[in-house]
Amino acid sequence: MSIAISFESVTKSYRVLKTRPFLAGEFFRRILLRPSERTIHTAIANLKLEIKQGESIGVIGSNGAGKSTFLSLIAQTTYPSSGHITVNGRIGPLLELGAGFHPDLTGYENLYLNASLLGFSREEVEEKKDSIIEFSGIRDFIHAPIQTYSTGMITRLGFAILAHMDPDILLIDEIFAVGDAEFQDKCFTTMKRFKDAGKTFILVSHSMETILELCDRAIWLQDGRIRMTGPPASVCHYYLHPDEAPEPDED
Amino acid sequence: MQTLTDLYRYRFILTNLVSKNLKAMYRNMALGFLWTLLNPIIFVTVLSFVWTHFTARLLITLIPYNFFVYCLTGCVSVIPGNANLVKRVAFPRQILPVSVILTHLIHFFAQFGIVICYLIIMPPPNGWISWAWIWLPVVLVVHLGLCMGVGLLVSALNVVYRDVTYIVESTITILFWLCPILYLPEPMFAEKFPEWGDVLHYIYYSNPLAGILDSYTNILFYGSRPSFEILGIALIGTLIIGAIGVRAFWIHEKEFADLV
Repeated sequence: MSIAISFESVTKSYRVLKTRPFLAGEFFRRILLRPSERTIHTAIANLKLEIKQGESIGVIGSNGAGKSTFLSLIAQTTYPSSGHITVNGRIGPLLELGAGFHPDLTGYENLYLNASLLGFSREEVEEKKDSIIEFSGIRDFIHAPIQTYSTGMITRLGFAILAHMDPDILLIDEIFAVGDAEFQDKCFTTMKRFKDAGKTFILVSHSMETILELCDRAIWLQDGRIRMTGPPASVCHYYLHPDEAPEPDED
Repeated sequence: MQTLTDLYRYRFILTNLVSKNLKAMYRNMALGFLWTLLNPIIFVTVLSFVWTHFTARLLITLIPYNFFVYCLTGCVSVIPGNANLVKRVAFPRQILPVSVILTHLIHFFAQFGIVICYLIIMPPPNGWISWAWIWLPVVLVVHLGLCMGVGLLVSALNVVYRDVTYIVESTITILFWLCPILYLPEPMFAEKFPEWGDVLHYIYYSNPLAGILDSYTNILFYGSRPSFEILGIALIGTLIIGAIGVRAFWIHEKEFADLV
């Protein structure tokens, strides 16, 4: 099996700034003084990881463990401070609640905009739009502005678009938290379909059941490092009972 | 070069963003796109009762000036305004400022139509149309290049520094008086500073926008070709600003998702 994603000693740190600096101030500082030292927050520390094609990975960890940064790095919306990430294949978006929808536009117009941003070609959108609207189950409201939608409806539309794209790698951040039982069921079916089609997916969730049901491997992130990786059942168990967990290997 | 091919490859996103901008702008207005045209029409009607030729000159410079200003103010906020997209979808970031500029370019063309109509109704001394019009595309390309360069520069810097919005606002106010819109620079220099006229001429036209507006006036009002010297200086200035803008954008675009 070939490698879909590989992290080679990836570190991502953010400069912690109280506020954005002034351009004028920075300008004079560059000329007159040395640049000021800034505190650095390390979100991902020296991460080494390989994800094979077709693997389904569940990522768990407490808030601030670096889960979202981890996904952003794979989605290539943010770049590592050091190290190198290789991604083979078309990446799906980082799907979150109502990402990239414009409130003043109708659902239909947002569908076009969003789909194009996700890499659909014009022909693909024309071909799939009916099916997307059908899947979202909001046909009656599709020509109403998004700002009149409920959160559930926005998520449905977002997921419907996602379900119709054909990414090789899918990144999902807590999508199952919203929506009614029927919608969650649709999500599960779609995810299973992706899995059966041999797609790689990475799912960040606080719901252990979701991860146990969908994933082959779980990764437990703690303070930007991998605390443990392995079969979901044991990783989830240790995550819930951290005092039983073996100490992580130092490298 | 990469920038341009990327823009072509992502043209479907670009057209969708431009149509989003237009729709979002006019969605809640009864007259919609007509507002863009109504503004200069009202302005012109009032003014032309007073001064005919002055109005023509004013329109010829003010509308290109406004295009530049709209691009500038639009680009300043375009990255934070699309934080949602920047954080979650990987696409070439330059699409965002470029989509703002294209949106305003459409407005500019529509308003330009009004200028032409006015010139037909109230022709300037040398007639409303001339062979000089073949220079219009050249001036437009320089103008557009300047908007792109400055647009990329301010959109990138505004993500990193917080005073860029204010700097841009004051620059716009000053810029208005540094452009040949309400006055003729040459006679003024000759009258006020006779011995410095030449130096001031070059300092004045080192502002590329002044040169561009002067070229529009030459073509549309006087029916003569633009001054190659002035347009040449404007082109050099545009290339320098463009290079700085592309470089600043290229340096900072990787941080956008972390900072917005």
